[in-house]
Amino acid sequence: MTKRLAGNVPKALSAPVSQGYSIDARKLTTRLLNASIKSGVSKGRHITILNPDARHNLAVGIVKRCSLSFAGSVGYYCCAFCDGISATIEGNSGWGLGDNLMSGSIVIRQDAGASVGASMRGGQILVWGNAGARAGISMKGGTLVIAGNSGFLTGFMMQRGRIIVMGGVGDAAGDSMYEGIVYVGGEIGSLGVDAKTESATESEEVELRAFLKALKFRDDILPRRFRKIVSAKRLYHYDSLEPLERERLVI
Amino acid sequence: MERLHSAHLVGIGTMTAKAYFHHRPWEEVMCGIAAILYKTGESTRSQAVGLQLREMLYSMRHRGVDSTGVNIAGQHFGTDYVVRVVVSEDQGASHVIEGVRNAVAALGGSIVFINDFGRFRRIGLNYSGDLGKLSDSILSVKGAEIHSIGRSSEVIKDVGDAYELDKKHHFSKVNGTHGLGHVRLATESQVDITHSHPFWAYPFPDITVVHNGQLTNYHKLKREFQQRGFRFQTHNDSEVIAVYIADKLSRRGKLGDVLEESLDDLDGTFTYVVSTDSGIGMAKDRWSAKPFVILETDEIVGVASEEVALRRIFPDDVRRVEPQEHEVLTWNVSLAPRIKVRLN
Repeated sequence: MTKRLAGNVPKALSAPVSQGYSIDARKLTTRLLNASIKSGVSKGRHITILNPDARHNLAVGIVKRCSLSFAGSVGYYCCAFCDGISATIEGNSGWGLGDNLMSGSIVIRQDAGASVGASMRGGQILVWGNAGARAGISMKGGTLVIAGNSGFLTGFMMQRGRIIVMGGVGDAAGDSMYEGIVYVGGEIGSLGVDAKTESATESEEVELRAFLKALKFRDDILPRRFRKIVSAKRLYHYDSLEPLERERLVI
Repeated sequence: MERLHSAHLVGIGTMTAKAYFHHRPWEEVMCGIAAILYKTGESTRSQAVGLQLREMLYSMRHRGVDSTGVNIAGQHFGTDYVVRVVVSEDQGASHVIEGVRNAVAALGGSIVFINDFGRFRRIGLNYSGDLGKLSDSILSVKGAEIHSIGRSSEVIKDVGDAYELDKKHHFSKVNGTHGLGHVRLATESQVDITHSHPFWAYPFPDITVVHNGQLTNYHKLKREFQQRGFRFQTHNDSEVIAVYIADKLSRRGKLGDVLEESLDDLDGTFTYVVSTDSGIGMAKDRWSAKPFVILETDEIVGVASEEVALRRIFPDDVRRVEPQEHEVLTWNVSLAPRIKVRLN
């Protein structure tokens, strides 16, 4: 099946030479479009996807080093299950951008939907706008940078890695975190269950600022101070007593 | 479809809340809602609301293929009310319509026109009495079900996707000032026309609701309303939202306040949109569990479960907004001059 699809692919590719291939998404079904992207990737060219029209499941499952850009908004699960990808999205994204990213980088120029970087294990996602609810849910590594604000349940059930939010975070931040760190430059709406705040140490601040500078953040837009949200680790040991039993013990 | 359906039910029964959120794919693909509203009330131009809803709903057909429905508001009917009725085939359509005619006449009303769309009838009538009585007497005719009663809006819903709906009902040619629509993946109640959205709020004219989610205190709310004499036509949890909103609106007035109250009174996951004679409003639950995006310019606002629907009608440079948890928004058409409707 894949072979037959791959045979159709070259027709969909056109070449505005300077930037590598461009693919017009409107002319293709999602399946053919993804096959076209993979075929272009195997040739080692930069690929520009025109008119993505916020469609779902674009550029998923690419496990090669490659360079992509989307000239518009993308839908759900864009760049999910990728390893080594370098992608730029000019518009917004739907839910689950960069789901399970292993390595590589994804840059989104506007807002990301809910669950950006869900379960990501490595690499880096940079959101220039705001992120929706549950950013970095169940993250297991890598770095998620949000230049704007992040929504409800940021870092929900996070297990490793770090989230850097330059703006504020919404309610229930860091709910049920196991490990990992959420750095927040702005306001914290409220803390989630078993999350606590600490102030970042000086060496952490220096490292963080150097990292953000390398991402082309200007000094004057960096927050003055970062606070960090980490796990209080009270949920590590499950308390099997009922409230009444506990009361009896205390008495 | 079946696989998704049963997997979802397993998800609720055996998983913890956290694991449920983890299984996002099922969480997200159930039902899609969309609405559009023109804020240019003074403009006499009738807006292609039907056509735009068709495009939006068709682009979200992957969220639900069981049924599709729209409510197009801001129309001019030329009669006091338009009643949308579906007639049962086993009773014999002409027999049922005769019954409806008699029921209306008995209350002193008169039927001006009846448009025929297969099993569906679009009835224009003049009537000045209590709407509750009118609805009850039409519903008492065996084989007749009401989809909507409106002074300036009507509900059009059927099984199949948006283009199939348009093929049967030609709603893409209906113009108005605002409207809403729904594509359904049935999870809580049966797949048939009456159980599909939008839901009309018995017995209040022009109020309809589309809903994406599940209400867990539906039975309790429904019982309370039934004890107060409200009538429910289906076993769908979304119908109770329509009745809830209409009941509160009739007593309190402001749509925004009523939606705000509903966030605490309704339990479960939901994002829903309400249409009234003068505008639309949306409410999103405290978990932010259901997707919703908004695109707004000075003249027009479009809302939908997914951006893919909005990009069908908005250019790329309009910034989209994603409302967060526990949020309510309303928009008004600033009461446009009534607009002429064309129907095939």
